Amino acid sequence: MPPLFSDLTSRLWRNLTSIRLTVILLLVLALVATVGTVVPQGEPVARYLARFGPGMGGFLVRIGLHHIYRSPWFLLPVALLTLNLLACLFRGLPQALRRVARPLTWETAQSLPERGRFSLPPGSDPTPRVLKALRREVGRPRVASPNPNRIVFLVERGRFRPLGPYIIHLSLLLILVGGLVSLFCSVEGRLLLLEGESARSFVLSDRSERPLGFEVRLDDFTVRFYEQGIPAEFRSDLTFFQNGREVAKAACRVNYPVTFGGLTFYQSSYGTRLDGPLTLKVCQGQDCHVLKAPLRQVLTLPDGKAQLIPVRVASNLHGLGPAVQVAVKSGPGHPKVFWVSRNHPELADRAGTPFYQPGPRRVLLEDLPFKFYSVFQVRRDPGVWWVYSGFLLSLPGLCLAFLLPPQRWAVVLTQKPDGRWEGRLLGASPRARETFTAKTNRLLARLKQKL
Amino acid sequence: MISTVIGVVTLVYLFAGLLFVGAALWQQERLNRAACFLLFCGLAAHLGAFAGRWVQSYQLASRHAPPEAFTATLRLVVLQVPLSNFFESLVFFSLALPSLGLLSFRRHLRDFLGAMVALLACLILAYASLGADASIKPLMPALKSNWLLIHVLTAFLGYAAFGLAFGAALLYLWQARPTPVASRRAASAVLHDLDRLIYQAVAIGFIFLTLGILTGAVWADQAWGRYWSWDPKETWSLITWFIYAGLLHARLVKGWAGLVKGWAGKRIAWLAVLGFLAVLFTYFGVSFLLSGLHSYLT
Ligand code: HEM
Repeated sequence: MPPLFSDLTSRLWRNLTSIRLTVILLLVLALVATVGTVVPQGEPVARYLARFGPGMGGFLVRIGLHHIYRSPWFLLPVALLTLNLLACLFRGLPQALRRVARPLTWETAQSLPERGRFSLPPGSDPTPRVLKALRREVGRPRVASPNPNRIVFLVERGRFRPLGPYIIHLSLLLILVGGLVSLFCSVEGRLLLLEGESARSFVLSDRSERPLGFEVRLDDFTVRFYEQGIPAEFRSDLTFFQNGREVAKAACRVNYPVTFGGLTFYQSSYGTRLDGPLTLKVCQGQDCHVLKAPLRQVLTLPDGKAQLIPVRVASNLHGLGPAVQVAVKSGPGHPKVFWVSRNHPELADRAGTPFYQPGPRRVLLEDLPFKFYSVFQVRRDPGVWWVYSGFLLSLPGLCLAFLLPPQRWAVVLTQKPDGRWEGRLLGASPRARETFTAKTNRLLARLKQKL
Repeated sequence: MISTVIGVVTLVYLFAGLLFVGAALWQQERLNRAACFLLFCGLAAHLGAFAGRWVQSYQLASRHAPPEAFTATLRLVVLQVPLSNFFESLVFFSLALPSLGLLSFRRHLRDFLGAMVALLACLILAYASLGADASIKPLMPALKSNWLLIHVLTAFLGYAAFGLAFGAALLYLWQARPTPVASRRAASAVLHDLDRLIYQAVAIGFIFLTLGILTGAVWADQAWGRYWSWDPKETWSLITWFIYAGLLHARLVKGWAGLVKGWAGKRIAWLAVLGFLAVLFTYFGVSFLLSGLHSYLT
């Protein structure tokens, strides 16, 4: 390789594997995401123009800040971080594996710093005593006897700690892959079903239709309320059909999605829709007539002097229950427009309310045949499994990295010519000095205890 | 009853904080011990109030829909954990802070750091009693999930640990201000201690925040059909997470001379301050200033 080129690649490699780059990228991502919460995301362009002014709003849209998480502002640092992560993994993982593969041995233990000395009287076997002390304070040791007048006890905790960060990094890669898979391979749409209605397709976010591959029917929709009128549960009872045959029934509730044929249905919202004509009663004094009135169709009243149109309906107007807005036209001049409440006909006499009906004629609402509809989020997302495996993998990684610091101890017993055993306690734990020192001191005190 | 206990606990924390300040000013170890004891008593009562509220909200819910089998009872207990609105989360936040201090950082919980923990807990609790709606409301459908408990628990334990790191960072920056040469030696030992404390608290907070974000994602996947939707609360928790991940790695950045020693000291302390500001914004700012899926908190 020409020197200039190899110099360049090694510079590039150094930068790509540098943690300084990691820190910078993480802070840049924090900043970009902050911008993403200040500028609302994914709204129609006109909103930005209205909110930020034509100049600024147009500029924001042009440089892609209205879809920041799909713009290079975000994706570029993420891509760089991914490269950075891969490079670190490539560089550091073999080393970490080598370190883990080499357990503490007598040879490596000799280089540990000395933490204290003690001595044991001649005659008795010192092994059980030291074993007990070690087990009590730091853990089960391995025992070696490199030569006849020397016994070595080795305790190693947190041996696998070096793998921790790499497991975390691997899990992040899995999550990133999952995010990409979700971005490019997921199918997401909505499905609106009236009670009793069935569907063979759903609507994607770009308004195009997509076949479900089966048929689904909404049998029933129920809302349960608490006493205070707060909704307690939304529930859609669904039946699935394949080739015209009923194959499954399921209840879809919030937090309890239903999966069928590879698609998952989430209870997303609901509403009511008019189902058939309304029943009105029109009274003039004691003279009353019941009428069936389809929505938005002109109806001539029985006395022939006026016309009535039901304009729109509400399932719960101002918390007063179902109501219909009607326009009544009698003679020249503007039609009178008012609401008719089913549960509160007395409001018709209350001037100043939207329910007030001027004149001697009274319109009453007998029946408003409402039907529930339920809206589902429909989704297939193969990225979820990648993301979830990343989640699972990150747990042992976090434990290893933060909760299991490497700690090593060695007790070396040497028999002196007079039969006395001289003991040396060695050990080190660069990442957890405080706990290590405390444990070591307790261990030393126990070893020094007179019998 | 419970609100009275919480009022008393607020005062106990305040008093403990003042004792810690006294201990720092007069170098009295006895005062430190007394403050610790007081903090502990306050914590016990606080825990009692938390449990009492749990019982209350369970009773309320079981009156509406009495559970039949044992598993249903258990489920209702888990669901009714008092972590479902702003008031309850504030109470838990201020519970987690001294608990974490007393359990994991006992050795450091003295003098000004003890004071910060106690006073921060006092402040949050006072805000809960004065500024938030304390009534128990029935759970809305989206909150009826087993993930509620673990998600909110982990998130707030993380916040508490970051609060501790924030206190330590403030002390660090105060101690590291330019001083006459004579007192530098003593200060440097203290600074070393604080630096380690910041790291340890951030490490614990990072574990919990990560768990909080992950459980939140799983829950969102079940409730909304999407594990990540860039909702402002989610995004701000991610911002917080980026900042603390940056902090953890900043400690590993090699110095210019190629020394293995990472960025320690002031820059780390500033990052811990910045991180906690992001935590506070995730918690308060998002609820009040930005709207989104999490806005039921207000
Ligand atoms: C969002 C991205 C990242 C997260 C959440 C993350 C997380 C972590 C965590 C939790 C640790 C343990 C820290 C400690 O022990 O104090 C760690 C260590 C480390 N990270 Fe990352 N990391 C990320 C990206 C990266 C990248 C891109 C690199 C590449 C340079 C990197 C390189 C390292 C190294 C070299 C260590 C230290 C390993 C050791 O102590 O043996 N990290 N990371």
